[in-house]
Amino acid sequence: MGVTCVSQMPVAEGKSVQQTVELLTRKLEMLGAEKQGTFCVDCETYHTAASTLGSQGQPGKLMYVMHNSEYPLSCFALFENGPCLIADTNFDVLMVKLKGFFQSAKASKIETRGTRYQYCDFLVKVGTVTMGPSARGISVEVEYGPCVVASDCWSLLLEFLQNFLGTHTPGAPTVFGNRHDAVYGPADTMVQYMELFNKIRKQQQVPVAGIR
Amino acid sequence: MSGVRAVRISIESACEKQVQEVGLDGTETYLQPLSMSQNLARLAQRIDFSQGSGSEEEEAAGAEGDAQDWAGAGSGGDQDDEEGLVKFQPSLWPWDSVRNNLRSALTEMCVLYDVLSIVRDKKFMTLDPVSQDALPPKQNPQTLQLISKKKSLAGAAQILLKGAERLTKSVTENQENKLQRDFNSELLRLRQHWKLRKVGDKILGDLSYRSAGSLFPHHGTFEVIKNTDIDLDKKIPEDYCPLDVQIPSDLEGSAYIKVSIQKQAPDIGDLGTVNLFKRPLPKSKPGSPHWQTKLEAAQNVLLCKEIFAQLSREAVQIKSQIPHIVVKNQIISQPFPNLQLSISLCHSSNDKKSLKSATEKQSPEDHLYVLEHNLHLLIREFHKQTLSSIMMPHPASAPFGHKRMRLAGPQAFDKNEINSLQSSEGLLEKIIKQAKHIFLRSRTAATIDSLASRIEDPQIQAHWSNINDVYESSVKVLITSQGYEQICKSIQLQLNIGIEQIRVVHRDGRVITLSHQEQELQDFLLSQMSQHQVHAVQQLAKVMGWQVLSFSNHVGLGPIESIGNASAITVASPNGDYAISVRNGPESGSKILVQFPRNQCKDLPKSDVLQDSKWNHLRGPFKEVQWNKMEGRNFVYKMELLMSALSPCLL
Repeated sequence: MGVTCVSQMPVAEGKSVQQTVELLTRKLEMLGAEKQGTFCVDCETYHTAASTLGSQGQPGKLMYVMHNSEYPLSCFALFENGPCLIADTNFDVLMVKLKGFFQSAKASKIETRGTRYQYCDFLVKVGTVTMGPSARGISVEVEYGPCVVASDCWSLLLEFLQNFLGTHTPGAPTVFGNRHDAVYGPADTMVQYMELFNKIRKQQQVPVAGIR
Repeated sequence: MSGVRAVRISIESACEKQVQEVGLDGTETYLQPLSMSQNLARLAQRIDFSQGSGSEEEEAAGAEGDAQDWAGAGSGGDQDDEEGLVKFQPSLWPWDSVRNNLRSALTEMCVLYDVLSIVRDKKFMTLDPVSQDALPPKQNPQTLQLISKKKSLAGAAQILLKGAERLTKSVTENQENKLQRDFNSELLRLRQHWKLRKVGDKILGDLSYRSAGSLFPHHGTFEVIKNTDIDLDKKIPEDYCPLDVQIPSDLEGSAYIKVSIQKQAPDIGDLGTVNLFKRPLPKSKPGSPHWQTKLEAAQNVLLCKEIFAQLSREAVQIKSQIPHIVVKNQIISQPFPNLQLSISLCHSSNDKKSLKSATEKQSPEDHLYVLEHNLHLLIREFHKQTLSSIMMPHPASAPFGHKRMRLAGPQAFDKNEINSLQSSEGLLEKIIKQAKHIFLRSRTAATIDSLASRIEDPQIQAHWSNINDVYESSVKVLITSQGYEQICKSIQLQLNIGIEQIRVVHRDGRVITLSHQEQELQDFLLSQMSQHQVHAVQQLAKVMGWQVLSFSNHVGLGPIESIGNASAITVASPNGDYAISVRNGPESGSKILVQFPRNQCKDLPKSDVLQDSKWNHLRGPFKEVQWNKMEGRNFVYKMELLMSALSPCLL
């Protein structure tokens, strides 16, 4: 359990998503990172059912139910800017029972899959974000294992990221700022993924609108 | 003022009321305080008016009936009043005795007055003296009293006798009971310690550890039978017990698990039978043993069987480089080359055949009792694990499994943590690891001890830690020279003995990993000892005021050592005239050379170049010291002597 930074890697110009991912993984292998199987993070969106909404016409909150293969026995339920619930995998069954309150948004499932690399104390996961059948972007997750306080190892993480991503190095994730000196937990990683997915969803909406 | 809210203060008098009772919930019921008149009445009640008028009592008692009648007839109206008074003023009641006494006295006085007035008239009544012969009837009551007393005493004596008889009877009965214990009471006692159930007309018990979490399929039932084959006419033997237990035949006798490590493999022909029945059976007492000991022994046999079954199952399943061999009642494994660990189940039943073989010649015991004990501990742990996995209470929505496993989801354990939860090493793997560690530890100890006894200079001290893990222990090794412990402390080694290797932590933090081969440790220690000598010279030079010219732990010159490297040091005397050079190798030993000033060398040929006398102060050639002919009890002492001999005399 360490500190994790999730970021998006833009697709290199003139190349497909697949090719960019390959470029990254090759870079990792050149560094001497060890391949350790695959990973998968998925996210499903639920919105509060109309029947339970207040009469003031306030918009229903969105809830995201996520799974991460790094935590195979857990299920995460998050609200935007809200609390994060960690439950065991039976939570999915519970969501079916709660149909009256939370309804699954159609075709909202978004996930990222890819390869997991271990490089000394760093765990790097490069994944392709897919929504339905099409690839939408690239996610890069870097975890530094030996530390649990984000502010203590952010500069180290940044250095590694600069080394590896070059110009596309992200800024400090917002979750780091929220809790200064606090212990970093799995929920923070999931919040970062949620933000990443939301960003990618918005990105893809624009071109679709343009086509129309 | 107005801003401040008035503070309420409640004033309460100290509790003067008497507490009648305190309820279970702590509430106290008080007695109402007495009013003034009630208090007076209470005090008056305490006065005993009958005291001091004892003689009148008899008469008063006789007259009482009359008096009451008189009172009833004379004051019917009064009584109503009185009743009213009684109702409203119960405080009048206490004066009743006074009133009664007064009234009876009045009645008597009235009667006496009437009688006297009638007697005075002498018309109807006369006074006559009473005859004096009332003595014989006076004696009569005395004899009567005596007789009645006698009678009552006799009655009392009879009752006492009866009681005594009954007591003696019960005492003897008790003693009889002790000899001939009741089947039912025995059964009750059995029931307190063992699980029993009734099947048909039989009583069956459970020996197995199933309730403790064992998964061993042996049913482990025993039958409780009533011991009736005893001749009631004959004297009952002391250890007779009306209850007996019938144990399954395969659990009879005694069993134990034997773990031993042997240096070389025995003949294949001996496998499986060597270790049988080695231990002489404890001499069983004549007669049948008590059921408790019988059952305990049977349970032990069952547990040993379970351990062995578990071990042999694992031995077959686990793939190892050198496969484990399971033959008959023995499991053989090779933790290290040329070393075999054998775990055997020794089960001896009480029949004659096994007794005979038990008397065979015994080889020296090579039990590893620690491992045998640990095996028992491990199987209990195993039981506990299976028991705790189905432990209740359990959240209805959570998956079944260990508690830590249950928390893995909500606490978001990652892959590594989950893996660490699931790691389930088998019994055999654990015990082999422990055996390896024990063996490695004893071998290390033996190596150090043999070195310490073989080599006197320098000395080796080993400090073993008392508290060890089952898989790891540590020893601190100090290399010193006798008499110079304070100045030569350079070599301190911490040896962490693990399962397959020894980690040596040097004083300066270097870590060296040695394998299980004892030769490696021995070579390492020898090289350290040779280095110690050179270190000691360095320390000594500091103390003696000599200068260190050069120092090297690993010399690249000279003959090559088979173990480690030679180390060397060169020191110069305080005024620089002399220099001593020491080379010490683990194998070649020490070689000491002394360099003299040029002017002290007579055999040096006169050089044509160095004509000037100032060149005489240059140092000349080296000469080797015949070290074994030096005086001194050890290397450092000899060196000290040499240095002091070469130092200039201060006087």
